[in-house]
Amino acid sequence: MCDHHDILRSNNKDLQSIEKQIDRRYFLKKTSLGIGALALGSLLNTEKAWSSIGNSGAGVNAFAKNKLGLPHHLPKAKRIIYLFQSGGPSQLDLFDYKPRLVDMFGKDLPESVIGGQRLTGMSGSQSTLPVAPSLFKFKQYGESRAWVSEIMPHLSEVVDDLCFIKSMQTDQINHTPAVTFMQTGHQLPGRPSIGSWLSYGLGSDNENLPTFITLISKNGKGQPLKAGLWGNGFLPTEHQGVQFRSGKDPVLYLNNPDNYDGTDRKKMLDYLDKLNSIQHDAYGDPEIQARMTQYEMAFRMQTSIPEVTDTSNEPEHIFEMYGKDSRDAGTYAANCLMARKLLEKGVKFVQLYHQGWDQHIGCPGGVKNKARQTDQATAALIKDLKQRGMLEDTLVVWGGEFGRTVYSQGQLTKKNYGRDHHPKAFTMWMAGAGVKPGFSYGETDDFSYNVTKDPVHVHDFHATLLHLFGVDHERLTFKHQGRRYRLTDVHGHLVKDILT
Amino acid sequence: MSETSDFVLFLGRFHPLVVHLPIGFLFFAFMLELLGRKKQYEALTSAVPLALLSGFVSAVLACVLGYMLSLSGDYEQGMLDSHFWFGIVTTVLVLVAWLIRTGKIKLQEKQSLKANISTITLIVILLSVTGHYGGNLTHGSDYLTKYMPFNNTEETILTPVAKVEDAVVFDYLVAPILDAKCTSCHNESKKKGGLSLIDSLSIMKGGKGGDALIAGKSLESEIVKRVLLNPHHDDFMPPEGKTPLTEEEIDIVKYWIDHAAAGFSTKVGHVETSEHIKEIASVMLGLSNDPNKVELPVVTKVEESVLQEIISEGFTVSELVFDSNIYAVVLPSKTITENNMGELGKKLQVLAKIKDNVLWLHLEDNQVTDDHLEIINTFSNLQKLKLSRNPLTDAGVSQISNPIIESLNLYGTKITRASLEPLSKLTNLKNVYVWETAILKEDVDALQLRSEFPKFVLGI
Repeated sequence: MCDHHDILRSNNKDLQSIEKQIDRRYFLKKTSLGIGALALGSLLNTEKAWSSIGNSGAGVNAFAKNKLGLPHHLPKAKRIIYLFQSGGPSQLDLFDYKPRLVDMFGKDLPESVIGGQRLTGMSGSQSTLPVAPSLFKFKQYGESRAWVSEIMPHLSEVVDDLCFIKSMQTDQINHTPAVTFMQTGHQLPGRPSIGSWLSYGLGSDNENLPTFITLISKNGKGQPLKAGLWGNGFLPTEHQGVQFRSGKDPVLYLNNPDNYDGTDRKKMLDYLDKLNSIQHDAYGDPEIQARMTQYEMAFRMQTSIPEVTDTSNEPEHIFEMYGKDSRDAGTYAANCLMARKLLEKGVKFVQLYHQGWDQHIGCPGGVKNKARQTDQATAALIKDLKQRGMLEDTLVVWGGEFGRTVYSQGQLTKKNYGRDHHPKAFTMWMAGAGVKPGFSYGETDDFSYNVTKDPVHVHDFHATLLHLFGVDHERLTFKHQGRRYRLTDVHGHLVKDILT
Repeated sequence: MSETSDFVLFLGRFHPLVVHLPIGFLFFAFMLELLGRKKQYEALTSAVPLALLSGFVSAVLACVLGYMLSLSGDYEQGMLDSHFWFGIVTTVLVLVAWLIRTGKIKLQEKQSLKANISTITLIVILLSVTGHYGGNLTHGSDYLTKYMPFNNTEETILTPVAKVEDAVVFDYLVAPILDAKCTSCHNESKKKGGLSLIDSLSIMKGGKGGDALIAGKSLESEIVKRVLLNPHHDDFMPPEGKTPLTEEEIDIVKYWIDHAAAGFSTKVGHVETSEHIKEIASVMLGLSNDPNKVELPVVTKVEESVLQEIISEGFTVSELVFDSNIYAVVLPSKTITENNMGELGKKLQVLAKIKDNVLWLHLEDNQVTDDHLEIINTFSNLQKLKLSRNPLTDAGVSQISNPIIESLNLYGTKITRASLEPLSKLTNLKNVYVWETAILKEDVDALQLRSEFPKFVLGI
């Protein structure tokens, strides 16, 4: 292939003058984005000089020296799987056992508990707020004697590996802002997600696979998810999460078309790279750089993805452990299994979503159904990581965007109740790398309504998560629109008590 | 003195500004006078009277404004008097110099020349003295010499403490805050609001607004009340333009007043101290109380060429803590297969060049055999070793002897229960993964370990 294109560009006076005009116009047009975009362009340019052959990730150069000065301290976690239970799982029906509620059945929730909190429009206008104790039986399990509801029979087997945080708190009461807050540290869209920050800060451990991958259970009903939740915000675009399709073919168009053997694919991409470089030198648009990186990644994924997404050579007992759903591509169980394979291959962040935990009505049935879909595979993932020795440097996180109310939304009967959104107290758990196993942190009042001891705000959770990766949340910043941003913005305290 | 009208004080505050005019004029007059003695600059002497006159007029203005400022009563009387009289004398002398220069005071020709130069030299000297006193009044008497080289008159140096509990609350925690944020205005020579915070006596004395502190009642103590006001409030301290106290600093002062009863010799260990305060204190004292802090082995720097060689052998190398020269090294699975088994030995030899720098080593599924373990045994700082899914046997594994190894992953290897005994003797070993080996739960149970560790993790 000849390189006439760039010769044409550099020798033709007319073209050069046109290019200059466009340059200026481009500059003026882009001033809405600020000089920041241009500064970023030049920043990326300098990075080009540092990056190794084959681009080992934004944060790391050829000599294993991180350009951002990371990690700040010895990390405990090398990778993470975040099992996001979207919709707001009911802590009252799963982990936060409140036996005294039985005596309060149907009584109006005292105003002293609500404390003047503004409720949502969905239950705020109810004439009464009847207390609805959980229909499910709770028992204590393991050496840690953790309380778990009967609808999580498999998870109860691994409680000694879990670290419950019963005192989670968020600022948001509705789904979209709350999920966005949980995943990006801000309720409005536009900030980088947790995975993007880690990818930007720590770089990749396997250059043949994306650093940050998102898996979503198929046939998910309920509140929608959006790409901004695993978006890069203002960070360079190659750090956004790569969403795998929930089905047989997780990444489309990786196979060569019919009658093409792919032998000159690399050559083709190299030439495309050259064209893009010319374009980038002319306009300094960082998106061009990101595109070049992603073309390279896609090329390498042609071989790496089929290998890692193929679960056919997993032994029978592994499928049995994850449950029968694990053979059905795209289910939560199948995603858990694939997540383990991705983590094994050095993917740093697997973000898994399971939708439908939004039980405004028919809470017992709904929660039970969701538990049935997720319980076995979640427990299996913990066990599988543990027996492979991966749990000691893999962080597992389970949780939603908020909790649910103790009072019934809608009619309370002996057999049924609904629960509204509740941001002031909910339960999450973590397991693995650097967090105390068989531990429970924080307490709520008798109604699981207010935190009575050791509150953990979403910002604190983020600070702790970054800490486990060797990152000081106050020191990983990115300058954008004239100020330096952090995942925790100006908040966040490390929750030291849950660290090993 | 409180009768002084605000307007007078308002004008008075222009003194520090106006005072620089006579300084400039008079120094310039001095320069003109000196230069004018040379033939080529003779013409300059004609400008001396103008410079002197301007100097005089501005000096009078400065004196008047200075007097107005002194009415605020914020300054130490002794130093203020010196500054005042030196200022007056200088001003008068400037008038005299001008009179001599313009011939209004008649002197003989020869004397006149001498008189000119001597008066103007005297003016410069007086000016410097006056200025110095003025500076001391505004900035404090140690302002000028604080950063002077070889200045040994630093205030008492505190001996470092090993524990937060041993620190005297006032000396180690409160005094540094006062010094950094308060004493530039509240000292012996410049007592803003009549308050000096320079030592225990002056603090106890309080200021014009009453007691600076009430032991045990921080929120009623002026010293705390003022810093907690709305920053736009007139009484907010420190005043606008100065750096306010941080939340942590306020917490420390409050703690001192409430818990240490504002005592000057109370130690942290003597009183009830929250974790929060201890944390701030240990940061202030440069002590780390982080229980999670891990001591990293100190190792030599690795040459970039060596790293490059290791990377070109197929290893992924990442530094575990920035600039620590301690690395996690991974050889991606299946880099070595049955087809290229011979290469592993060479690769490990290359890696052995940084054997003390490797903390974590992953060699999963790479045809590692017992012979290769000999090289790996020389890695002195190895903490985590992942050897899973390799054809290793008891013969090699029982020889593993890395001194600080904590985690050993042997799942999917060919080891049997014969390896358990030697492995359990490794003192730092915490977790051994032996899933998918010939080892059974009974074997582990039969081992009857004396301590909790190592834990042998089987299939679950």
